[in-house]
This record gives sequence, structure tokens and C-alpha cells, in this order.
Amino acid sequence: MQKILPKKEFPEFIDSLIKKYEVVAPVKSPNSKFQKISSFDEIYFDSITQVPAKIQFLPEDETLLEFKNKKAVETKGEIKKTILFGLRKCDLNAIQIVDKVMYDQQYLAKRKNTVLIGLFCENPDEYCFCNSMQLQDYHDLFFYLKGENYYIDVGSKIGGALVKNLSSVKKEIKIPNPANFKKLENLEIGENYKDKIWEGDADKCLSCSACTVYCPTCNCFDIKDDLDLDLKNGERKRCQASCQLKSFSRVAGGKSYRDSRLSRFKHFVYHKISYYKKIYNRPMCVGCGRCLRVCPTKIDWVETINKISKS
Amino acid sequence: MSYQPKSYKISSVESYAKDVKLFKIKCNLNPSPGTFVEVSVPGIGECPLASCSHSRDYLELLTKNAGNVTSAIFNLRKNGSIFVRGPYGKGFPIEELKSRNLILIAGGTGIAPITSMINYIEQNKKLFGKIFIYFGFRDEENVLLKERIKKWEEEFHVFVGLSSDPDSHEYEKGFINDIMERHKPDVENTVALLCGPEIMMNVATGELNKLGMQNENIYWSMERRMECAFGSCGRCQIQDLYACKDGPIFRYDVIKPRLDNENSSQEGR
Repeated sequence: MQKILPKKEFPEFIDSLIKKYEVVAPVKSPNSKFQKISSFDEIYFDSITQVPAKIQFLPEDETLLEFKNKKAVETKGEIKKTILFGLRKCDLNAIQIVDKVMYDQQYLAKRKNTVLIGLFCENPDEYCFCNSMQLQDYHDLFFYLKGENYYIDVGSKIGGALVKNLSSVKKEIKIPNPANFKKLENLEIGENYKDKIWEGDADKCLSCSACTVYCPTCNCFDIKDDLDLDLKNGERKRCQASCQLKSFSRVAGGKSYRDSRLSRFKHFVYHKISYYKKIYNRPMCVGCGRCLRVCPTKIDWVETINKISKS
Repeated sequence: MSYQPKSYKISSVESYAKDVKLFKIKCNLNPSPGTFVEVSVPGIGECPLASCSHSRDYLELLTKNAGNVTSAIFNLRKNGSIFVRGPYGKGFPIEELKSRNLILIAGGTGIAPITSMINYIEQNKKLFGKIFIYFGFRDEENVLLKERIKKWEEEFHVFVGLSSDPDSHEYEKGFINDIMERHKPDVENTVALLCGPEIMMNVATGELNKLGMQNENIYWSMERRMECAFGSCGRCQIQDLYACKDGPIFRYDVIKPRLDNENSSQEGR
């Protein structure tokens, strides 16, 4: 089902949502990221956000358990009904992909209380390659501006309830894919693990982990305990972790199972393209290009894969 | 899935070697052989430990003082409390093992999951054929679960080798493969279960292959850093497999190509 909303009524529509719900949308401050907004004017429309939407569900750290009086109590927290607005197709697919691997109640509670509203990606840049990544339609609502009207694709009942007062489109339009200048030629790299070509990229890699921090599908985490100053009470936290750091695979006694930069770098690329696909039949990467955009040494693993497929 | 651990009372603590202890905990978690639990000390952290027993009434955990959590566990005493959640993972494939001969191989603290399997065999002797057990330790001082090994010697074919203790009167000298070569196991209709450092499992598997065993009849228990224990945190990934939910017990022909890949890029950089 599609609904229609005149462009000039759009700010009013968003403001009406803000009155009822907590609305989180792209904001520029100075990095662009998803943040709670209090009016339509705060929304940043120009490009995809630098910081991905995953921090809504997987913040840098989050309390899982609290220790009080020698007891461990799981935290449930108060979770408000939230509308996540302005997600591009890559952002939406990233959430769908991470949903498959996160099944603890802290994550699920947040997901259940969040409505996902997509927005057509008007200005992809030279790093975007989302059309190579088998993206799907996954949203509660999806906004596409054509002429003087927003066409709104309704993807769920919850989404439908938000736009029930808008008029339906008689003849539905097809929402196109965003324009892409970059392409990932080949998703079948399973046999190329030992290829020497990866060494070039790994040599440039600084193991800074920026790619995993900015990747919208990197969900890996660490579980850490914090003790209060009274040395009795404290909390157990989930913290972001990165497979690009040596400590990630380190076990008691000091052995790290991915000790070399080469093995860590390949783990990132292969997880995104190959490992996840073996289990869930689609790549983990959504082609948003954030890892390429933030890499301080400009490693372009997409081109590396393209070179492999040409040779 | 939940991170909620439960507090249990430690009913006994036994010390082995300089830095290994066995904790007995009264509980009804009843992990199947080869699976693991997440053990924690509030404020310090959590760590995965293999179950070292098979019983409805208690759980035994054998741990080396090797990291910050295990050293905190090490300070716990009898009647103290310990937090546990689990069990997690796929243990030894019991159905596949029925009516076959078994070779059990362990090195050092790798004896823990193998002990849980031996407990199971003791309780269900009729289900299995001949049992060959090979243990490797560094020296006499580091032999773990000594009294139990003595007891098992009466029931099964048990061989213990010390890799660097020429003066021992009680045990043989030699690496695991030397011991296996000296006391060859039956390999017809046989499955081998291994746990220990990867380098030791490698050598032992080489010996099993030499004796004519196929990789599909060999199982490895993998050590990785399982943090969440149900396939979310990504810490224990071995390529596309998760040690916490696809393992920690893996059929060797399944895990070998993945380990080969990961190890191929370990050198140099």
C-alpha cells in the first residue's frame, strides 16, 4: 500500500510525530548521526550519516546486569516508543541483518519499541555500492519524494497506523534503487582466502578499527564488569568491540587467535561478504561505503575483490 | 536469551599442580559432556569454562589460574558463592558414539571436558566398546586428577605421558604421539575425542591418521573467547562457525579447512 503526502505538509507531519513519540533522525553536530530531535528543522537531509544508526540499539556501552547486595539483577530499563526516521535503504537493511544475530532481551526490547521510517537516498557518493549487495525492502514506512509529493510505502501495520489519515495512492509508483557509481563485482570470494592480493591491503591497515566502528552491521561486543568504589556493588556492561584489535580473540594465557593484521583484516572482509552469507544466504555488507569513507589509509577492499574477479 | 547468572554454593575445592583447582558446585544444571558454562565473579567478569563432570546433582569446574577472572575464581573457598549461567554449546555427539570404540585424548587442563565424557561412559558402559584414554602433561607435578586417573586405569586402557620429566617413576616419558605409538589403540569402528592445546591436538591427530583413522571420526574441542555464549558477540568465530553455538566440539574434517585458512595468514604481519 502507498500513501501520499504533499511536500509542503511534510514538516507538519514530522512535528506531529514528535509530539507523540520520541523521534530520532539524522542531525549534523558536527558529525552527522542519528539523534533525538525536537523539531523538523533539525533534520539533516544531505547525505547518509557518518555514524550509523546501530548506536540506537548497540550504544558504546550499556548495562546488562546490576550487582546489589550479592545478587545479580538483569536490567530491563524503561524503553520509550521511538521512531527512527531518515534511514536510507542501506541503514534499514543493516538493522535487518543485525537482528538475525542479536537475540538477548535488552536488544529485542529496544527493537520492538522502534518504528523504522526510511527515506529515499537522493545523493549517494563515490563510495556507495548498495546495489551490489542484494538489499531488500525492509521498513515500517518508506518516504520517496517525486515532484511535489512524498510517496509513502507502507511496510507494516505499525507503519500504516501512523499514516492512516493520509490519502492512498491510486496508481502505485515503483521506488527506484539509489544511483551507484561503485560496484562490487563478485560475492563469491570463499576460495580466495589465501590469495596474496590481500597482503597489499593488510600492509596499509593500521588496525585502527574505524571500519568496524562505522560499519552499520558490526555488532561484535565485549562483556565487562565495573565495580563501584564500595567494592561491593557494580554492573556488567556490554561494550563495543572490534575484530581489528588483537585483544578481540585473545584467550586466558595470552594467545590471540588472530594475531596478525592480515588475518584480522581478512576476517572483517570475509565476515561481511562470505561468512554471514553461508549462514543467512545474503551478505552482511550493505554497501553503504562507511568503512571506505573513514579509512585513514584509504584501503579499498571492494576494488581488491574486483581485481580478484578479473584475474 | 539472557545474561542472568545464578549464584551457587561451592561445596568443595581441590588443588592440583601449582595453578589448577577443581571446584565442585551443588546445582542441577546437568550439562551434557563437552558443553560449557559462563562462570563469573561479580565486579571482575565472566569466563567460559568446560564442564568437568556429568551429574544431575553437581557441576565440577577445573580451572587454571590464567587470566583476571580465573584468578578471582581461584580466591574463592569452600561455601563461597559463584555465579554461573549455561550450559551452552554442542557437546560430544553421543548418538554418533554409541556402540563404537572410543579414543579420548587430552593435554593439560584439556582433561576437563574429557572427564565429563568419561563420567558419562562410566554411567552408560554398555553403550560403548573399548575405551582408550591418553593424557599428556608437562611433568609429574602437573598431572591433574591423579586419583581419578588411577581409578580409570582399572576400568579402561589409560596411558599417561609426561613431556618433560625424565625422572618420573610413576609415569612414562614422551609426547602424546609417542605414548600413542607405544600403546596403539584399536582404530576399527572407532571415534576419537580430543581436547588440549591446538598444537598437541595436531600432533595427536597426525598419529591417528597414521594409524588409519579418517578425519570424520575425529572430534576436536576448541578453545575460544566465548563472551555471550549464544552466537551474538562474535568473539569465538572461527571463520563462519561459532565455537559457542556450533561447537565447542567440532568434527575435525569440518574445522580443519577453517583453521588452515586462519593459520595461513598468521605469520609475518
